[in-house]
Amino acid sequence: MRSLRAAGAFALLLIFSRAAQAEPYIAVQQGLKCSQCHVNPTGGGMRNTFGDVFAQNILPWKRLDAADTWTGALASFLSVGGDLRYDASLEKVRNQPSTNDFSLEQTRLYLDANVIPNRLLFYVDEQVAPGGAINREAYALYWSAAHDWYVKAGQMYLPFGLRLQDTSAFVQEVSGINMTTPDDAVEFGYLKGPWDIQLDVSNGTAGGPTVSNGKSYSGQFTFVQAGWRAGLALNQNSSAASGRRYAYGVFAGLKTGPVAWLAEADLVDDQTQGSLSHRNAAGLLEADWLITKGNNLKLTAEQLAPDLSVTVHRNGQTRWSVVYELTPIQFVQLRLGARLLNGIPQADVQHQQLYFLELHAFF
Amino acid sequence: MRIERAIGWACATAALLLVGCTGNGQGLDQNGQPIGSSSSGPLTADFDSIQANVFTPICSVCHAGPSAPEGLQLDAAHSYQLLVGVPSVEQPSLLRVKPGDPDDSYMVRKISGGPGISGGRMPLGEPALAQATIDAIRQWITNGAPMGASMPATHAQRGAAAFEVRLTAPEDGARVRAPLDHLIVGFTREVDFSLVNASTIVLERLGSAGELLEPFGLPLPLGYALALGDPSVVVARPLMPLGPGRYRVTVRGTGGGAVADLEAGTPGADFYFVFTVEATR
Repeated sequence: MRSLRAAGAFALLLIFSRAAQAEPYIAVQQGLKCSQCHVNPTGGGMRNTFGDVFAQNILPWKRLDAADTWTGALASFLSVGGDLRYDASLEKVRNQPSTNDFSLEQTRLYLDANVIPNRLLFYVDEQVAPGGAINREAYALYWSAAHDWYVKAGQMYLPFGLRLQDTSAFVQEVSGINMTTPDDAVEFGYLKGPWDIQLDVSNGTAGGPTVSNGKSYSGQFTFVQAGWRAGLALNQNSSAASGRRYAYGVFAGLKTGPVAWLAEADLVDDQTQGSLSHRNAAGLLEADWLITKGNNLKLTAEQLAPDLSVTVHRNGQTRWSVVYELTPIQFVQLRLGARLLNGIPQADVQHQQLYFLELHAFF
Repeated sequence: MRIERAIGWACATAALLLVGCTGNGQGLDQNGQPIGSSSSGPLTADFDSIQANVFTPICSVCHAGPSAPEGLQLDAAHSYQLLVGVPSVEQPSLLRVKPGDPDDSYMVRKISGGPGISGGRMPLGEPALAQATIDAIRQWITNGAPMGASMPATHAQRGAAAFEVRLTAPEDGARVRAPLDHLIVGFTREVDFSLVNASTIVLERLGSAGELLEPFGLPLPLGYALALGDPSVVVARPLMPLGPGRYRVTVRGTGGGAVADLEAGTPGADFYFVFTVEATR
């Protein structure tokens, strides 16, 4: 069974034959939907058989010989996966002592019980370190026979824009919807042809106690083509106690030769902080240059407008990132990066530099 | 190929334009707020200063809105009431801020990377708070975590406001999952705790049509206490587990058996809130 799945996935790889990894730029480079490589149709977390085989045969610079191909399958119906990120970093904040340390950023384990193969699965994403365990995702997912729609129920990441690994990106912070804020939700997905659509109803409390009857409604509509994609994301979060919060996002991807471009712009209208509406916005533009197999250079420019009642020329913040990603062998990636944050002159915390070397191990 | 190259240059130019938009800070204070709109100044061990210098500019970037992580909103309108005396979602045995006890305040552990935390140190993915900042927060908690002078109107105007219920947890109409460890009734002024008992704050179970389900209409037993550091808030703990169903809390506000403030002022009318307990999954 495992060999058959691996062989099938490898055959598909021969068709696509470009690098892949758990970030949206890979999907853009490949012209694929997130569900091609991930168990979760909206991306992130555990890789499916295709993703596992891809990560071993196409992604690394060199593949170490192995007797068999890892597919995550422990038994016929049970698969596991994981991600570990371990950093050595140097952080500088203006007028504060710099800090440098080793830190375990994240260890996550995934479990997929495919109780009715290709139709019904139970999935758990558990962050086991640092600190105590936190459940990130736990849901049941039912696929249609043709895999063109699904229904998912449980705790899950909500769909909103590009699912970036960097949860501190401005667009991730402004929307408040990222891989640190899963929610109790029911999701309907439609993935037929070029369309990739999700509609969600959730508590809107990101794991906090439910304190009102208000709910969060999310919708994401993505049109995916081989060389480009464009999408629209909407979220309305209602709370009887504190008002409503609206988030709007547009995002796109484009492939130009070896470079994959990602762009996203988000606007948030927050009416939960007293009587006044607070509006902020963020933008991201990223270029991922696949230098050679296993070598990727990521350049990211970000803009934050933390309060649109003040012009961005007065309160704007920018963030530049340069990250070189080397995947020398299967399941191991080294990331060397620098992030520079700049803001208004009088705010020390808006002037930060972060330099890091990260070991990303995954399976 | 030529088109691809042109598009690539266009994207690179757009990136450069983005970088041109770092604010000059004109008319803003050191936290990016319009001058005069907040009480920011040098960080001191009082709540207003911590809000202006830490919670608003750093924490509320993520901890804002109804979907704030772990339900913790740290904007000025919500932070105090969601921090002080409120159990942590990640570690319910600990209060987020336990007045007088920074070591057992979960927020302090989260910003210090202390023992027993779930998930990462805060601010997540950002440089750790300076030790001087952590020390100021610890000192504020050691001092009893008092409210700030410029708290939202519900707090600051307590002296002038009528004595009445200002907040409850669960809120009226809320649906919460079992187990429900405590109920909270917050008043606009300090409450006379000697008057808080099973006849002034009453918990009853309701049927689907709103009728009382307990035999003879007897209320469910509660244990009462004042919230640590905030004598205007009553914390009532059910003395037996609340099973799935609808519940009503009545706060007696009139007559001889009413709650009152320290000057014998009463709300003048009974106050009710209803909530639903759902089974644990």
